[in-house]
Amino acid sequence: MTELQTVLTAFRDATGCAAAIWAEDEGRLPSRLAASTPAVGILGWTPTFDNGPPRLVLCPGGPAMVGSIPGPRRAWLVIGPAADPSVPLDTYVRFLLPVVSQYLQSALEVEHAANELAERYEEINLLYTITEILGRTVSLGEAAATILKEVSETVGARRGSILVHDRVTDTLQTVAALGVPALDVPPIALTDECSVSARVFRDQRALLVEAGDAVPCPAEARYRRGTMLSVPIMWTAPGGGAQPLGVVNLSDRASGQAFSAGDQKLITAIATQIGTAIQNTRLVRASLNQQRLVQELELAHDLQMKLLPRTEIVAPTAEVAARVVPAESVGGDLYNLFRLGEGRTGVMIGDVSSHGYRAALIMALVMSASAIHAQGSSDPGTMLGALLGTLREELASTEMFLSTFYGVIDRRAGTLRYANAGHPHAYQVTADGVCERLPALDPPLGMVEDTPGARTRPWVSGADLLLLFTDGVSDARDRFGIRFGEQPIVETVRRYRAEPPAQILTRILDELSEHTGAAVQRDDLAVVLVRS
Amino acid sequence: MSFALRKQGDIVVVDVEGQLIVGNRQELKQKVLDELERGEKKFLIDFSQTGYIDSSGLGVLVSLSKKIREQGGELRLANLNDDLKTLFELTKLDTLFQIADTRERALESF
Repeated sequence: MTELQTVLTAFRDATGCAAAIWAEDEGRLPSRLAASTPAVGILGWTPTFDNGPPRLVLCPGGPAMVGSIPGPRRAWLVIGPAADPSVPLDTYVRFLLPVVSQYLQSALEVEHAANELAERYEEINLLYTITEILGRTVSLGEAAATILKEVSETVGARRGSILVHDRVTDTLQTVAALGVPALDVPPIALTDECSVSARVFRDQRALLVEAGDAVPCPAEARYRRGTMLSVPIMWTAPGGGAQPLGVVNLSDRASGQAFSAGDQKLITAIATQIGTAIQNTRLVRASLNQQRLVQELELAHDLQMKLLPRTEIVAPTAEVAARVVPAESVGGDLYNLFRLGEGRTGVMIGDVSSHGYRAALIMALVMSASAIHAQGSSDPGTMLGALLGTLREELASTEMFLSTFYGVIDRRAGTLRYANAGHPHAYQVTADGVCERLPALDPPLGMVEDTPGARTRPWVSGADLLLLFTDGVSDARDRFGIRFGEQPIVETVRRYRAEPPAQILTRILDELSEHTGAAVQRDDLAVVLVRS
Repeated sequence: MSFALRKQGDIVVVDVEGQLIVGNRQELKQKVLDELERGEKKFLIDFSQTGYIDSSGLGVLVSLSKKIREQGGELRLANLNDDLKTLFELTKLDTLFQIADTRERALESF
């Protein structure tokens, strides 16, 4: 108020009359705001104030006049005492009152503007703080607690909460609370009719409830005191509509004043940021889960591949090349090899109907059971019968079945004895290029109760090839949906029959890959080539 | 991919349009079992509009065949295309089902 001081001093210099301004400050007794210097006779004296017209009073230095200054602030102008007692005090009051009034009003406006600016600064600061909090944490609970504290300080709320919608239970869960431990607040059902939060969430619109409005629901009563501002936390998907994710509640304002439209606007802006943070947290969590799932699937794939035998276990009696490629991480295609002694080698290929995990479990069972039964049964039909005995219940309960070929090559006797339960793709390729199908002798295991039969064929040791593959190879489609078919595989084996099995297998897989290109593999596939 | 069921006399005729695979086999199974539960005994599945049956599709046919037989009913298959016919022969499934070349012959065979 130095400018006012200057005006009053100039007034005193011009008129020889002292002047002072008193004002009331937030309910306290009036105090002196400014006075002419040197103040003549009015220092140390307090007049009595009222709102009536200017009136004459007697102060220690002589007569003076006190007049109420018009305007929003309760203030008074005191003129006098004067060096010359004949000065017209009332004229001076009438002259000075509007000038001072105008000045005080301008000063008040400036003060308001400054306060407003400070508030805006505080809000901007809050938004920056929240951005920082959300930027450096992915823990929603931690971020929510800090945000609630910062927001409450800015708007002067002593109680509040941040609730987030739980999609599993369809309730609003308290992730942060002020004035009460968050863990003590029970969840609120979205259908709760007396809950302000549930209503704000449903209507997707902010609500200001007065102290007397509605009976607070028990969960909200913990942090609702007096007026409560409740704002929905919204999130807008790129290119989609806004959806509510939760609610921010603030109440028990220290000033006792109601929340303003500005407060609501600020909290809405912050709620949007919280919404983005919630969504990011969910995406991060989903991404981590996905990552873990991928790792588990890779592990399952590796484990399943380890169940398949190395082809070397039947060397040097037999030279084998084999490959299994599941359509998903794990599948139901398999092969197994058995060293049976006395120049005999057992070769099995199988395709569990369907693919994925259920098929993989049956596959694992087939691998272990076949290893036991192959050693115990010299005849392939008996072996598959024993295998069926082990698998019967499992196949029946899962409505799966196993199409399988099991052959025993006896290089000393020069025979191939085989059983074929519904396996469509088995061939014997002779040295002179004859490719003969070894047809199914029985339906797949699990479809009928009978023990499969077996058949014996002549086998030229070291020259004949046994070719086995599953329908994942012949049914593989290119991007136009055209099947690879059986013929290209059989023809490749026939043409390159003199080559080592591993080399022929590479040729088959190369041709298959050329056919399918980037098309998605729909079924598990397995190929086995044996020379013995 | 869909299954159209219609009644022809006392026979429930099912047309399999497209494919019978792991993704839709349960739908076929449920539709047929619903009819079986209503007391229907005679079923004909027509594959004239079917391109492909995977191993799980074959599984559901076997399962339905068993369940229908258990209820004293009968199942016939008709109009398998050459690929499907070969598949049934190669896997010896032709020994498990009564298969007719045409719908008419299948209907007459009940």
